[in-house]
Amino acid sequence: MKHSRSRLLAISCLLLAAAGGHSSSRPHYGGTARVLLQYRVNSIDPAAEEDHPATRDRMARLTFETLTQVDPQGRVHPRLASSWRPDPAKRVWQLRLRLASFHDGTTVTAADVVASLKNAEPGWRYTATDRQTVTIETPSPITQMPELLAVEKFAVVKRLPDGTLLGTGPYRLSQWHPGEHALFTANEDYWGGRSYPDSIEFQMGAGLREQLLQRQLGPYAAAELTPDGIRTLDQSGQEVLLSRPADLLVILFLQPDNAGVAGRKKPIDPRLRQALSSAMDRDAISNAMLQKKGSPASGLLPQWLTGYEFLLDSAFDRARARKLAADAGLGVPSPPISLAYDFSDPVAKLVAERIAFDASQAGITVRPYGESHVNSKSAQASMNADAVLLRLPLASLEPSVALAALAGDLGLAPETASSALQAVRPEDLLQAERKALENFRVLPVAHVSQALWLNANAHNWQQLPNGLWDLDQLWVEGVR
Amino acid sequence: MSLKTKLLLLVALSVAASVGAVAWLIEARTHETFRQIEQERTTALVNQFRREFEHEGDEITRGVDTIANSDSMLRLAIDLSNGSDYASHVNEAIGYASAQRLDFLDLIAPDGATISSAHWPARFGYKQRWFLEPGAPRPQPAFLRHVETPQGSVLALLCLRPVHTHGPDFYLIGGRRLDTTVLGSLFPAEGLRVSIYSAPEQGPAEILGAASGVPSENLMPLIQKVMDQHGEASASIEWGPELQQEQIVHAIALPGYSDRVPAVLLVANSLERETALEKSVAKVSLLIAGVGVLLGIIGGGFVAARLSRPIKKLARAAAEIGQGNWDVRVEPGSQDEIGKLASAFNQMTQELITQRERLVQSERVAAWRELARRLAHELKNPLFPLQITVENLLRARENTPEQFDEVFRESTATLLEEVANLKTIIGRFSDFSRMPAPQLQAVDLDELIRGVVQLVQGQLARGPARIETELQLGDLPAVSGDPVLLRRVVENLVLNAIDAMPQGGKLTFRTELDHANGLKHGSAVFELADTGQGLTPEECGRLFTPYYTTKQHGTGLGLAIVQSVVSDHGGQISVTSAKNQGTTFHIELPLWGEQVVSI
Repeated sequence: MKHSRSRLLAISCLLLAAAGGHSSSRPHYGGTARVLLQYRVNSIDPAAEEDHPATRDRMARLTFETLTQVDPQGRVHPRLASSWRPDPAKRVWQLRLRLASFHDGTTVTAADVVASLKNAEPGWRYTATDRQTVTIETPSPITQMPELLAVEKFAVVKRLPDGTLLGTGPYRLSQWHPGEHALFTANEDYWGGRSYPDSIEFQMGAGLREQLLQRQLGPYAAAELTPDGIRTLDQSGQEVLLSRPADLLVILFLQPDNAGVAGRKKPIDPRLRQALSSAMDRDAISNAMLQKKGSPASGLLPQWLTGYEFLLDSAFDRARARKLAADAGLGVPSPPISLAYDFSDPVAKLVAERIAFDASQAGITVRPYGESHVNSKSAQASMNADAVLLRLPLASLEPSVALAALAGDLGLAPETASSALQAVRPEDLLQAERKALENFRVLPVAHVSQALWLNANAHNWQQLPNGLWDLDQLWVEGVR
Repeated sequence: MSLKTKLLLLVALSVAASVGAVAWLIEARTHETFRQIEQERTTALVNQFRREFEHEGDEITRGVDTIANSDSMLRLAIDLSNGSDYASHVNEAIGYASAQRLDFLDLIAPDGATISSAHWPARFGYKQRWFLEPGAPRPQPAFLRHVETPQGSVLALLCLRPVHTHGPDFYLIGGRRLDTTVLGSLFPAEGLRVSIYSAPEQGPAEILGAASGVPSENLMPLIQKVMDQHGEASASIEWGPELQQEQIVHAIALPGYSDRVPAVLLVANSLERETALEKSVAKVSLLIAGVGVLLGIIGGGFVAARLSRPIKKLARAAAEIGQGNWDVRVEPGSQDEIGKLASAFNQMTQELITQRERLVQSERVAAWRELARRLAHELKNPLFPLQITVENLLRARENTPEQFDEVFRESTATLLEEVANLKTIIGRFSDFSRMPAPQLQAVDLDELIRGVVQLVQGQLARGPARIETELQLGDLPAVSGDPVLLRRVVENLVLNAIDAMPQGGKLTFRTELDHANGLKHGSAVFELADTGQGLTPEECGRLFTPYYTTKQHGTGLGLAIVQSVVSDHGGQISVTSAKNQGTTFHIELPLWGEQVVSI
């Protein structure tokens, strides 16, 4: 009897707890989700050049929508475009727009979309067939046009004469302090329905130490993490979201082989670049420097995305590196290679130092140094470094689109992007990637995961495999 | 150099030498004292550095011990020895190093692989085996060693500690940078500079601290010496061109983990103050020496003047006596040696005058005797025929008148001839006694000689022995002289030469200008050389003595007259001759315009 009473009491408690738990897991409107971003962003415009485009895109996705979108499984879904239809040659694509309005209340028209796409990709031909239909004509066939249009670069932006940018997304930009702070408030008239939180607030450029303090003390819903912070949080039982190792950590040699630009340094000998590739202990970089939150990269696209990366050769071979370096220097010590890295990225610093250390063991002198701007083309053009260590986001879960985007980011020959977009089989893509890597101007180092600390009061925070956030279903609990 | 100048120099040099010796002694003593002070200051600073070194080493040892003995490190080591992934601990060392204020901290696996490096996390996996080598010491206290960093090799004070587990030991190597901050904490005394020469096994050496700007070639010999000897040494070193200072540098080898010396402590002591003081002493010495020399010159001048004045008077008096002024006297002035010298001089002068007067008297007597002898000789010759003639006349009175008349005519003729002869002799003596004073005017000596030669040319050519003449005239300017007397001189010499060449010969007339006789315009030189039988040196010495002659019928007055005339013209005559090689008369006459001094 006594046992029966106890069992009854326990069951009652469990039911009460379950009832309470059920009520707290139910989405509800309101609240502000505060997010700490590691890097500073100066412009929210998806078409503008930006040092940290992935960070910018995370915010831009809230207010600017693409015509299509890709789900975590890589499947394409309609967004601003309700349907699309290609011609048999896949050169002409006709897209039908859904009925949506910009944040100023004006309806999205085909003309608005054409104007926005022209700004993103001037090389194509756009036609507003009618008020709701847009036709895109490309010089060469593009099989994955819907996936390509899901890239944030092709987000539809209405640019007003006073410089204001208007989007159609679930949040409208209420406050913007470049490099510091951004506040997005819920768009009540969003075609997909109002989002749960009243607003999402971003704090940019928060250092690791500050992040940790804020996480413990402040009401933040989420914060970007560097790999060294992950372990600490893991040990304390905090929730950490990890993307697939998607970002590409890559060395880009800035001077092309045939560079003859006055004032620039001599291009680095291809044998020396190959020697540096062989000298890098990518396993040590991934395991130790990136705390296993990355994978050694031998190609531009990660193995999990393409399945063929292992076919690309990037074996660590110090003896071979020494020989190549000696051949390049013809018996004379090779000239030092200055390697710029992102000053604000502690991981980049660590990896650059490891590369320099590995290189020194092979008789190659690499001098890493921090630069405040490394990613943008304009910054690279004015840089005096021989090479730069870049961290490039995986723009799409569609390999060909992702490779084309990387080719653009790395300033590779246009043929690389076009052959990627025309690739039908994985072998074609592998061939395109091999072609891009054959002159060792681009040395893949690692694929890096993106890490995010998530507060327990933030729910339905979706992170795509490539690290992009899908906050359509986000709701926050008990935060005002 | 005068006596006064010599005395002055002697006094000045004596004073300068004395002052210089005193200054040198003072400077040497100052130098020695400074060296002692410098040695003491250096020793104090080196001891201070050693204390700081030991203190820093103790702190590092304490810090590394704390980490090695901590529970967390022990747990970590056990986890690692149980197979925990090294890579996940790559950043462990940073926190430990920060907590213990260590600049460097490496967590090292039993095989030497770096698990975590606080100062260079990128070195993960790199094997350090220098402390694992067989026989390598495991020092308890801290030691010096170079640590590799991304910026290069850095000198550090390190401590090595094992972390014991149930399996092989893990190791901790921690330490701090030994740089200018440590040196700055020493607060060296003024003038002292502390530096450390850091010599990594790989890469360039560098000098940390005050000597960083000093050219390494100045310091390297000293540094190499102490590194080779593992000891200490000192040397005087130029402290760079911009400082232009000489420094005494003490170099002390700082021991490291192995036999190789990783660093050398350099303590430089500026000699600036010493140099300044030495310069000051030198200046004062120079000033004192200058004043001493000045006073020496003044005092020496005064003393030299007092000493040399009576000597000068003596010298002047002696010169006047040399010039014939026998009346000069020197005042003794004092009773010292100079006064006695003056008295002796006066006495000597008086004695000389007395001797001279006696000599003159005796010469006069001798001259009169000679004159009497010559007169007796000259007059005796005609008197003998006169006596014979008169005696013949007396005897002729006993003959017939016709015979008497004839004897009378012959005797009277002889008497007249001998009386005339006597008159001639008396006339010559009269001429010698009445030698006229020369009426000086400009005389063309060359022309005068040509006239004489032209006059005697015919006589020479007509004679039984042929005598040639040769003129080597030097186009002389006019001489100062009396043309009549000078002509008589030349004629006398020519007649004398003709007498010297009874077998014929050659007469050479030579004139030239002589500038080497002290006269303003120089003098004219006339030489007459014959090729006669020549004279002996004894004959040459007496040739100009009146009434001395080597000829059978000479009066011995010709050359005496010549000498008298030349002397009256302010000139000089001399003769050079050798037996059977002829004789040359040499006459010097002043040029017209020269002041003529008759001797």
